[in-house]
Amino acid sequence: MKYAPFFGCMITVKYPQMEAAVRKTAQNLGMEFVDLDGFSCCPDPIYFKATDKLVWLTIAARNICIAEEAGFDLVTMCSGCTATLSEANFHLSNEPELKEKVNKRLKKIGKEYKGTISVRHIVTVLRDDVGIEKVKKSVRRPLNDIKVGIHYGCHLLKPSEIMRVDDPDYPTILEKLFSAIGAQIVHHDKQALCCGKACMSEEIPERMTYDVLTSLKKSGADCMGLICPTCFDEFDLGQIKLSRKFNQDLTIPILYYFQFLGLAQGLSPQEVGLHLHKTKTDEIIRKLNNSHS
Amino acid sequence: MKSINYKFREKLNSTIGGEAHNFCYQCGACVGDCPAAMYSPDFNPREILLQAILGDEKTLTGENSPIWNCTNCYTCYERCPQAVRPVEVIIALKNICYQKMTAAPEVREIVDSVKATGRTVKITSLSDRRRKELGLKEVKIVPMEELRELFEQ
Repeated sequence: MKYAPFFGCMITVKYPQMEAAVRKTAQNLGMEFVDLDGFSCCPDPIYFKATDKLVWLTIAARNICIAEEAGFDLVTMCSGCTATLSEANFHLSNEPELKEKVNKRLKKIGKEYKGTISVRHIVTVLRDDVGIEKVKKSVRRPLNDIKVGIHYGCHLLKPSEIMRVDDPDYPTILEKLFSAIGAQIVHHDKQALCCGKACMSEEIPERMTYDVLTSLKKSGADCMGLICPTCFDEFDLGQIKLSRKFNQDLTIPILYYFQFLGLAQGLSPQEVGLHLHKTKTDEIIRKLNNSHS
Repeated sequence: MKSINYKFREKLNSTIGGEAHNFCYQCGACVGDCPAAMYSPDFNPREILLQAILGDEKTLTGENSPIWNCTNCYTCYERCPQAVRPVEVIIALKNICYQKMTAAPEVREIVDSVKATGRTVKITSLSDRRRKELGLKEVKIVPMEELRELFEQ
């Protein structure tokens, strides 16, 4: 199974621990990555899309063209990149006039969007190509005692007519993936809430993040598991700021799914970059070590 | 009684994703699960659509437009029975703000960063060091001459 990985800006530059975790765990699952040259920012589905949708679609189409030329599906690791590239792929495949406009621009650089590949968030590749059973089989140290509160984020699931990943209101994909590595899933009240990162008010996202973190802590979870670097940004760095602001301990470790998978496959905390997180993850490591001593 | 600004509506119609505002019948299905509306009484997607139908250019594309408080969660897109895709109408309105130079400053910063480097996040010696420590290769170069061509009309 060969794929063209698209790591985007945030993971590549700000959170390379996520890239390291994906590369190491994907290899253990038999996925083969063909790293292509020439990708740019997806571009960003919030700020960039807010300026000029046609330029946004054209630059996204250029990235898709690179994968089309090589003949591989694009696999994304960030919900933002997934949103941009999936939306562009959907609109350009379904709206001939828009495709014509974009291709007129792409012609200047010798490219043409054809619509021959799919864009897929890596968790869907795990569920649908690799298979849950194979994920299970790759586990050497199941996360038996670790209670994970899941945060889905918005852009993996919505808009569902484009993403076609799961039921947007009652998704199960991440529950399946966390169960496969032995984690205990703890449901919490605000698990479907948006992280708020894309809202430009200062106050609204702060209160949303506050509610997610307090609901998570109330549920008895040891940590949060997520799949998007933007949500990670909001919760990992965000909880330090909010704890100070509300004079309340809101700290709880936030981990990217592939870091959990890496630990379960026997990688060290260092190898999946847990030391680079703002929030200390010692307690989780201790629990993991205790359950396997 | 308010008069309708059809000229502004025409502009919205010609912006990608803006045309669907015509189909809004003000049912309010977009409001119930909207997180920005839940957390702020000043944000209401149904009202934004009403202002779009009235062609209220000043409220929607002025410096303090409520549209910037949208969290871009796409729940309204799921709920709308008329396929208005309120979030896409809001983004079309943002595109108009960008043309009018009334967009939030963060928006311009991101675009400038992509125009200059091809990325939204700046590569630093720290990011390079971290990648190296994790056993990752250097970040690949973005062919900027190609990208710049695409920013032009």
